[in-house]
Amino acid sequence: MNMTNVMKLIRQLLNVPSIDPNDQRRAQLLNILLLGIAALTLLMLLATTIMNISGGLVEPESTLLYLGCLAQLCGIIIIFAINRYGSSRLASSLFLLLLTTVLAFSDEPQEVADGRTLFAFAIPVLMASVLLRPHASFAAAGLVSLLIAAIGLSVQIVPNVFAMVVFFAIALVSWLSARSLEHALEDLRTINRELDQRVEQRTRELAEALSRNQAILAGIADGVIVFDNDGKAIVANPAITGLLERHADEIIGYDVETLMGAGIDADDQAAVAALLRNTETRYPSVKFERDGKTLSMSAAPVCVAPEEMIGTVAVFRDFTREAEIDRMKSAFVSMASHELRTPLNAILGYADMLQEGVYGPLPDKQHEVVARIIANAGELLNLATNLLDQAQIEAGTLTLNVTPFTLADLIDGVQGVMSVLAQAKGLELISHIADDVPTTLFGDPQRLHQILINLVGNAIKFTKEGTVHVDAYRPDADHWTLEVSDTGCGIPAEAQPHIFEPFQQVDSSPNREHTGAGLGLSIVRQLTTLMGSEITLTSEVGHGSTFTIVLPLVPTQEKFS
Amino acid sequence: MSNSFALIIEDDSDAATIFSEALQAAGFETEIIRSGDTALARLAVTTPDVVVLDLHLPHVPGPDILRHIRADARLTETRVIVATAHAHTAESIRREADLVLLKPISFSQLRDLAAILDPDRPTAS
Repeated sequence: MNMTNVMKLIRQLLNVPSIDPNDQRRAQLLNILLLGIAALTLLMLLATTIMNISGGLVEPESTLLYLGCLAQLCGIIIIFAINRYGSSRLASSLFLLLLTTVLAFSDEPQEVADGRTLFAFAIPVLMASVLLRPHASFAAAGLVSLLIAAIGLSVQIVPNVFAMVVFFAIALVSWLSARSLEHALEDLRTINRELDQRVEQRTRELAEALSRNQAILAGIADGVIVFDNDGKAIVANPAITGLLERHADEIIGYDVETLMGAGIDADDQAAVAALLRNTETRYPSVKFERDGKTLSMSAAPVCVAPEEMIGTVAVFRDFTREAEIDRMKSAFVSMASHELRTPLNAILGYADMLQEGVYGPLPDKQHEVVARIIANAGELLNLATNLLDQAQIEAGTLTLNVTPFTLADLIDGVQGVMSVLAQAKGLELISHIADDVPTTLFGDPQRLHQILINLVGNAIKFTKEGTVHVDAYRPDADHWTLEVSDTGCGIPAEAQPHIFEPFQQVDSSPNREHTGAGLGLSIVRQLTTLMGSEITLTSEVGHGSTFTIVLPLVPTQEKFS
Repeated sequence: MSNSFALIIEDDSDAATIFSEALQAAGFETEIIRSGDTALARLAVTTPDVVVLDLHLPHVPGPDILRHIRADARLTETRVIVATAHAHTAESIRREADLVLLKPISFSQLRDLAAILDPDRPTAS
């Protein structure tokens, strides 16, 4: 049997189960005292035996000592049993009575009543407040006073009133300290209880919150992975396992390169990794193909405090179906606009023939009607072309056809087409090429023509009176600029950021003054982007608009030498 | 004297009619052919001054016909106007064609350009 087991046994012996923690404490205290006295008694028995053997003791002293010790042990066992299985209060009272009795007979009656043993009676007075109730010390003091008075009278001694007063004083002090001790313990127990309750409540709340968050994460249809600052996955939801076709435990702890695997293009892989490293981009999202699926990944920082980033959360979405629909849409638009253009070209051709008098000269009125047919069919053709371009841009199949070209021809071509429209509205279309712009430039003349047609067309559409200017000049040695300005109604500041987006109109109300699909400027911007340039707008309501395109100046000799 | 002769190789009948009218207006006699194989057969027996060639044709594609014309010593004087809707394909045959026109081609545009290519054009104009 080792030490801990002994300790456990002793603790079990000392412990007295009780509902009232104060009773339990008192009963335990009594048990400790009993154990201590029992140990002393056993020592005494041992000492008596040794002295008996060595002949230090004579009859009947030794027998009396033996009997005394045994009686004491019996008493201890009885009190212990009562304390344990009966009433601890009875056991304590009995113990105190026995103690007082032992004290009363431990010396000469004179000494007990008014001598050296007198103040030994302070012990039961003190113990009473601890073992019974705090106020029991007064009862003990009264009892002890009566006892010493009785003993004193039995040997004709005047009772020591001073001692009695001292007993009551001790009782008072003992009562006060026992009571404050009990109060302190009670307070401590209350605090403990409240603390326990709070811990329990918080634990429950935390568990609920955790399971709720877990349930929310599990319920998200998109795949979610949280990467730590080292780029390793630390959280993943069930949806991601299906999306990446990896088991949940093949995700946690891995970086995004490993997770994407070999089924992804190297450029896309780099774009994904770059986005995870820096989410502070304008469009924190990338689309890519992986193992036959089109996926998008958007990323956002995970911050616990404004400046403390603990990782990045990446949301993956399956765009395969959407991408397929997108492709079908682009193919449809492309096909439809092509099919639209063929008959439109025929209409324009026949109308042109009528206008040119191939089948005989036209009366004025018919000439005018044919001009309207040509203008409207032309507008429809432009729309079909724009739709086709938009579809090509979206599908990423629009490419530039870069050749050397003569700028004057380009601008004359635009002037030729658009001056008719300008004149019809009573506007002046003025073009000017600065002297320092090279005659021959390098670029896609067809697309530049389209850009100018769109810009000039808009300028004419939104200008009631005044002029539309087309200017070409060199802002610096490495660039040349195309600028289209008008004296029209201008574009409100709040609309300016959006006018280059597809299908956007400054005025999109059903009864708006001007018509169109809102594709022209979007295509213009995308074409200028393809040309490595950008288009800027300066405009003020009522003071016209100016669109400026700054293009890189590539000397043709360089490219063709 | 006989007029200059233009062969119009174009499968779309409306476009063919417009091209034909434009060339007639420019002073050509015209003939319309609707497919690539017929065009090759016709080119074997005639020597047109001008060919208006659509690149997208049934049976034999337009670029093949263009190469055939360029390879034929008898047709060295023949001017070829390529008419196509696709800027991209137009680029690939730019060197071999005399003129590349992107559709839509207007009646007046083709008429004026064809007049320049006419070998019988009155030099005084």
